[in-house]
Amino acid sequence: MTPWRTAVPRLSRFAVEHLLLLPLGALIALVWVNTRPESYFTFAYAIAFAVNDVAMVFFFALIAKEVVEATAPNGVLHPWRRALLPVVASIGAATVPALIHIQVVDALDEPMLAEAWPVALAVDLAVTYFVARVIFRRHPIIPFLLLLGIASDALGILALAMVSPAIDVRVMAGALIFAAAIATAVGLRRARVKSFWPYLIAAGGLSWYAFFYSGLHPALALVPIMPFLPHAARDPGFFVDAPPEAKDTLSRFELWWKYPAQIALFFFGLVNAGVPFGALEAGTWGLPIAVIVGKPVGVLIGAGAAMLIGLHLPSRVTWRDLTIGGLIVAVGFSVGLFFTSALLPPGQLRSEMYMGVLLSLAAAPLAVVAAKIMGVGRLAPE
Amino acid sequence: MRTALALIANVLLSAAILAQPTPPLPNRPDSVKFAAIGDNGTGGRPQYDVAQQMVKARAVFPFDFVIMLGDNMYGGQTPADFVKKFEQPYAALLTAGVKFQASLGNHDQAENINYKLYNMNGQRYYSYARGNVRLFVLDSNQMDQKQLAWIDTSLRDAREDWKICYFHHPLYSNADRHGASVDLRVLLEPIFVKHGVNVVFSGHDHVYERIKPQKGIYYFVSGAAGQLRRGNMSPTAETAAYFDQDQSFMLVEIAGSELHFRSISRAGKTVDSGVIPRQPKTGATGLTEDSHAAEVRR
Repeated sequence: MTPWRTAVPRLSRFAVEHLLLLPLGALIALVWVNTRPESYFTFAYAIAFAVNDVAMVFFFALIAKEVVEATAPNGVLHPWRRALLPVVASIGAATVPALIHIQVVDALDEPMLAEAWPVALAVDLAVTYFVARVIFRRHPIIPFLLLLGIASDALGILALAMVSPAIDVRVMAGALIFAAAIATAVGLRRARVKSFWPYLIAAGGLSWYAFFYSGLHPALALVPIMPFLPHAARDPGFFVDAPPEAKDTLSRFELWWKYPAQIALFFFGLVNAGVPFGALEAGTWGLPIAVIVGKPVGVLIGAGAAMLIGLHLPSRVTWRDLTIGGLIVAVGFSVGLFFTSALLPPGQLRSEMYMGVLLSLAAAPLAVVAAKIMGVGRLAPE
Repeated sequence: MRTALALIANVLLSAAILAQPTPPLPNRPDSVKFAAIGDNGTGGRPQYDVAQQMVKARAVFPFDFVIMLGDNMYGGQTPADFVKKFEQPYAALLTAGVKFQASLGNHDQAENINYKLYNMNGQRYYSYARGNVRLFVLDSNQMDQKQLAWIDTSLRDAREDWKICYFHHPLYSNADRHGASVDLRVLLEPIFVKHGVNVVFSGHDHVYERIKPQKGIYYFVSGAAGQLRRGNMSPTAETAAYFDQDQSFMLVEIAGSELHFRSISRAGKTVDSGVIPRQPKTGATGLTEDSHAAEVRR
């Protein structure tokens, strides 16, 4: 019997609070909206822009920071060739659930939900990391799943940019402003600016405005800026707290912004997860079915295709591990809620997709149970 | 003998009146007349029965357009489905030149805005005028900022005496299955109140319900022209009248400063009716109900 202290993996405070504060906000939202809907929606609409379009910038910046650090020696993205297999596999992990989603919502007689297919691509990295550690402790499949999640989210963001109905693309002007933002970040890096504030205010501000002006979701504005912030020579590991004495710019950014980002995440759950149960119809099941069935199948197909083109699975990673891994990355949660809020305006479709994202959390306990049954990871019966 | 003949004539006259499918509304020649159907596109027997009642009603009340409150099509939406679930049941009306003006429900395909007989001209939301009435059609599936800005501007600029909005999801409803779409109410109601919307029609809940005026606006839920959730209503203090025992549709006539309405069941029975005087700008209301309204109260 594994003592619970060792069964629960250690995570950074940012990741732990992510795992607690977002569900807490979501839970409060669900109770509130189903008891006092008018006051809930009045409140939620009043702060939606400040939370979704401004405060969430810092959450995605911190996720981007984890990815940037992962490119340093010791990181899961170092060297970049390691990323090839999961990136190729992510195409399968994205395509299969998206196709299933489109078919299932049609079969469930809510064909308009099909346009929200990019939500099926979302992977919550913190949940993925946590559940993967619970099941596998330390295992080469964990970086594989993180990379797959990052690639899948990146594909989702691309899809979002292409299909978002809210986009009133003013491409040229937006691209020019964005180019100015990147040029500013490059200039700051070349000038060896150590403080994160100029990156945040000058480059980040321009980038936010470029996204907003173009009709793209501005919460992602800092993601392309983060790679320009100087970082530590070696990756401390995924979701590992930066030490308080850390001097590099990325770590200073994390130390300054992790608490505001956590508060943003709580409010993000509060603002977006308020789903009136009366709004739900059969189409709500489209997303959970798509990701719980489609992600494991997609990961297997994607990994198989990658091997066909000459790539190799990491050592000790089996097809059964990949199946469980596919279930783990079915949880979209924070990113799923974000994609939904970006894709669908208020109305029944948005409510159903939000609830679908919440229901797909069931993939996490399902993965644990499946791992036990299939004898995968450290949960295998002795 | 004369008394007997008079009695027979009287009986025959009464029988003729009873045989009339629908008690007539004021039916003035210069009024705006339309029918309202919601959640109709099942292709099942009840939809065809309701359509038949609409044809009968039109024989005495010549409405020239039908507002569709969404879920115009359930299940498959192939060309064959459009025939079975729309063109066949309403064939007599279509042949007679009645125009259908659709809004989209959550079971409709987004591409249906291009279906010619829905007269949406490729638009999710649009407005059109008939006489002194302007009707605003919204897509309540997705209430984006662009649509909100459009309805705000369009209502502000409308010069007609009557402003009527219709869309699928009801801002007020006391049916158990769905109930009110409060997320939309918080966005739309302030705009409706600001610009003096008179009446709002919706579907989604598969019942008929008339809501007491809310902030000066009359709301109807009429989502049972094909579907039905029998006994699904839990009337509250908001409910003015309701009918949840059979499929139904509505007839509406706007004559000058009065809107007359009549809700008719699949069997041809009037289940609610009344007159709404055009509201003064203050939002005060003065509905007068016909005797039928009392019948639908439990």
